[in-house]
Amino acid sequence: MNPTLTPEQLRAIFLAASDPGAARALALASSLSLAAAVLWLVRRRSLREEYTPIWMGVAAALLLVSLRLDWIHALTRATGAWTSSSMIFFLGEVFLVAICLNYAVRLSRANVQIKNLAQEQALLRARLDRVETAAHGPPLDA
Amino acid sequence: MSGRVLVIPAYEEEARLGAVLEGVARAGLDCEVVVVDDGSRDATSAVAARAGACVLRHPFNLGYGAALQTGYKYALLRGARTVAQMDADGQHDPAELAALVLAVERGEADLVVGSRFLGRGAYRMGALRTLGRRLFQGIARLAGLAISDPTSGFQAMNRRVLEIYARDFFPTDYPDVDVLLAAQRNGLRVEERPVRMHEGSRASTLHGGLRSVYYVYKMLLSTWTAARRRAEAPAAEARRP
Repeated sequence: MNPTLTPEQLRAIFLAASDPGAARALALASSLSLAAAVLWLVRRRSLREEYTPIWMGVAAALLLVSLRLDWIHALTRATGAWTSSSMIFFLGEVFLVAICLNYAVRLSRANVQIKNLAQEQALLRARLDRVETAAHGPPLDA
Repeated sequence: MSGRVLVIPAYEEEARLGAVLEGVARAGLDCEVVVVDDGSRDATSAVAARAGACVLRHPFNLGYGAALQTGYKYALLRGARTVAQMDADGQHDPAELAALVLAVERGEADLVVGSRFLGRGAYRMGALRTLGRRLFQGIARLAGLAISDPTSGFQAMNRRVLEIYARDFFPTDYPDVDVLLAAQRNGLRVEERPVRMHEGSRASTLHGGLRSVYYVYKMLLSTWTAARRRAEAPAAEARRP
């Protein structure tokens, strides 16, 4: 490496590097595999349909990236990043954080629903015990 | 029914619950005693039933706050006018129940908290817990609530409080100063009365080890949000199952 290169020149070299066909093929294969995995999981009833849009969206985004890598390059230049791969990692991390937050919200909602159901079950059971005791006397194991 | 319900949340308290229920019977307060068994694997429910209490049994452990709330929901369904709550570990003295309940029934406040720091008896607290108490006391004061015992679970309340506490905002784990603030934000009067308390296990369960770190974090967050939330919107609560 030429020691006289400035960081800006180095960044320009990185950005001008051609896209290896293997990377494009890998992105394409990943997107198609992800879509296939989602469909397979739905068919096995391991994944409910209402949870598929986000993953199909990811598969579609990957497909788009594999077809239009220049969009990633443009984004890399616009954000001041050095390489397309670091841009992709950054987007991936943002996505993972967002999806974790989304599931935490869903989990919080499910938590409240489960708590309410369990409470209702306890109240119903007490009521049933009272009705049964009134009708038939106390249970034999009391 | 006297219109009074005493809610006792209990989790694996077979050893101590019997004595607590005997104490309640000796105290002679006319009320329906409801023990909420929070998914215990021991004989807590059987002990409560033998003592003649109404037992509400969670199918699994939901947490201290959820157990209390089940009791509130039951009281609402039963048409209770006043509800008292105390712990099942023997920390709260049943002889003090009447003072709290009567203060609510006389209309002195909507929610009365029994405080161990207002001069009745000598309750000893470690340095860390004292620091925590002072912290939450200070935060509550900043939010406009003057309270000496922000972690006391020995309370009595009227139906207006129940209608708010039966809503989904009520925490399943530690309902302390945050829910007092929520009651106050809803226009309810919160006051304290001096009570005697014994050393109990709830404090050590809730505020020991790493949990104490979580407790402080959670309380800071929920107190901050409780002080900023608008009043709880009316909800269709207490549907008769």
